[in-house]
Amino acid sequence: MIRAVIKTRTIVLLLAAFGVLALLPLFLSPNLLNAAIKMMIAALFALAFTLAMGQAGMLSFGHAAYYGLGAFAALHLMRAVELKLFGFPTPLIPLAGALAGFVFGLAFGWFATQRTGVYFSMVTLALAELLLTLAPTWNALFGGESGIATMRGPWWGISFGSDADVYYLTLAWFVVSAWCMWAFTRTPIGRLALALRDNEQRVRFLGFNAHVARTLIFAISCLFTGVAGALLAIANEAANYTIFSAQASANVVLQTFIGGAGTFFGPALGAAVMTFFARVTSDLTRSWLLYQGLIFVLVMLFAPQGLGGLIALHARKVRADGWKYLIAPYLLCLIVGLLLMAGLVFVVESIQVVMSDAYLAQRAAAKGEWVPYELFGRTFEPVSPATWGIPIVLLAIGGGLLQPARRLTARAWLAATRDVPTPDAQEQPVAASSPAAAGQGASS
Amino acid sequence: MEYIVVSILNGVVHGLLLFMVSAGLTLIFGMMGVLNFAHAWFYMLGAYVGFTLTRHGGFWAGLVLAPIVAGLLGILVERYMLRRVHKYGHAHELLLTFGLAFIIEEVIKLFYGDALVSYQMPDYMRFAAFTIFDTNYPFYRLFMGAVALAMFAVLYLLLTRTRVGIVVRAATYRPTTVEALGHNLPLVYMSVFAGGSALAGLAGAVAGAFYPTGPSMAVDFGTLVFVVVVIGGLGSVVGALAASLMIGLFISFSVGLNVSLADLLGLFGLGPWAEELGGLFTLQLSTVANSMPFLLMLLVLLIRPAGLMGDRQ
Repeated sequence: MIRAVIKTRTIVLLLAAFGVLALLPLFLSPNLLNAAIKMMIAALFALAFTLAMGQAGMLSFGHAAYYGLGAFAALHLMRAVELKLFGFPTPLIPLAGALAGFVFGLAFGWFATQRTGVYFSMVTLALAELLLTLAPTWNALFGGESGIATMRGPWWGISFGSDADVYYLTLAWFVVSAWCMWAFTRTPIGRLALALRDNEQRVRFLGFNAHVARTLIFAISCLFTGVAGALLAIANEAANYTIFSAQASANVVLQTFIGGAGTFFGPALGAAVMTFFARVTSDLTRSWLLYQGLIFVLVMLFAPQGLGGLIALHARKVRADGWKYLIAPYLLCLIVGLLLMAGLVFVVESIQVVMSDAYLAQRAAAKGEWVPYELFGRTFEPVSPATWGIPIVLLAIGGGLLQPARRLTARAWLAATRDVPTPDAQEQPVAASSPAAAGQGASS
Repeated sequence: MEYIVVSILNGVVHGLLLFMVSAGLTLIFGMMGVLNFAHAWFYMLGAYVGFTLTRHGGFWAGLVLAPIVAGLLGILVERYMLRRVHKYGHAHELLLTFGLAFIIEEVIKLFYGDALVSYQMPDYMRFAAFTIFDTNYPFYRLFMGAVALAMFAVLYLLLTRTRVGIVVRAATYRPTTVEALGHNLPLVYMSVFAGGSALAGLAGAVAGAFYPTGPSMAVDFGTLVFVVVVIGGLGSVVGALAASLMIGLFISFSVGLNVSLADLLGLFGLGPWAEELGGLFTLQLSTVANSMPFLLMLLVLLIRPAGLMGDRQ
């Protein structure tokens, strides 16, 4: 049995992170505070998703179902409190989400876990789609197309009117849930989840009922997903059927794997980063989903362990004085990545402007002439070689530097990790597969 | 009577269309163990290629080029992406195609916008093939069914009557032996992947002219295709055919039926009680027709977890 060895350094780091998070509302603007709440909710969702995926290897494409059910359960409870049907402390409302998530996780999970592997993924997707098709027509429960809205009630002198109150409520639930999930991975059934992922046959031979164990683990993952959904409902005070959409289920998958499902906090990191990314870029461009998809595919191709995996790899393998070898190559990688990114963004945004209805109308007004278009506050001629020269030059320089950058990084990586014993020999083949490519993926 | 006949015809055509897409998916899975999540997105790509060419050239050029474009994309995906991540396992391949689906959808949105596009069949195909019980049955539906049937025949003959088919089928069961006998296994994989993608592209070009063509068509159709392969059993082409027809009929019948659970309970005298409860009990079957395939899937999972024709686990 693995004893939970918590290093002093880890405790100090966690306490410091908690302190920073607790003090944040004092410094953040309302907009950023709202973003921070959404980031924490997304992080909790991703952690809950990883409980099923990373631990038990159950790749669910329909986790939005339990997220949405948690949100609607919380909304109904808040509505009941608002109508003075009975009293219920506002801070404990996520419990309703937890209950809804757990119950439906048990029921749906029982079906989904009949099959493993890709079947499981498809069944979970179909179950979420079932809810998505039912929700708009089922008025009493999901409020039809417009959804249901309510208000946060005050409790014990806390009004829960400001975002700061909601922030602390979300933070408290995040910390407690994250700790519970971490603790769960240390319990016997948490270890059984790992065993199920690695060798189900053997688990069955040892006398466990694999189906029941799977269902239970899936339901616990859904429980925390429900908590995240309830927190979202509390923050937004409303929800409608779109919360069940395939997009929502897809987001958590993308975020989790960008963060890295192999580490405990990787998914939370990925979710927080990508939620922030979405918030910033969705204001700037309509094609931000394309960039998110590209980032995901690049991570899958070149850094399969995700951001968290990269960080863990560096923490484990780089010597104390190894960083001096790595700084210069990483800077080069960063420059190459930025060049390639700039070229790509220019092409995508140009296409988007030129294909937009507004531009087509302009062209029609100019009798089909290619009128100049505006991008990044400047005007460009669509058919002039100078315009197309910009991305071509950017991509050419970036592409040309790619190979040297990879070679330098690979050499520096060897120098920086020399003589470091591998603490965990089993993880090595995956982790060390291609450090140069991994660095590339992270920077581009 | 009229309702039943028309529903059967519509259901069979819809089912054949579903089969056209799910056949490629199930073939690829059976052979490579890769569930190509982006498969329905190749279908959407086919529809958009068809739309573009109908605007600039002709409908038939679209039908020819759509499978070629989808097939070429399939080759690129298999050669430069899937093969790279093969060593990390099947879950990783699934995730990669999942991200790819995202990218295909967004690139299409980039060029064609978020709204539906008006992809229409040529006017000379817009006529009633025959009239049954005062209903004019559109010729194009028959055309879609015929294309799907022709595809099934070609696929079947190719797999069972040719040397290529023997190699492909052998590679499904004993890949290492096939390789030892001197066949180029990666090439076989690549061709099967490209072929499956091309079929999806063809289906898209054919169906897009009849059904709405828009950015959400892939995700709607894709989940249906997944339901088909879960019910039919992954890897089994015959299972896919049976499940496709089943789902097509199921949907086409439930669309036209205005009954609810309350009506059903009314047969036992519980009608008023159910009406009072409302909610799920008073939902019309026609409004939840889209949920029907999923309920069917739950039923199959309950009775036969491996699917109609699937192997146990």
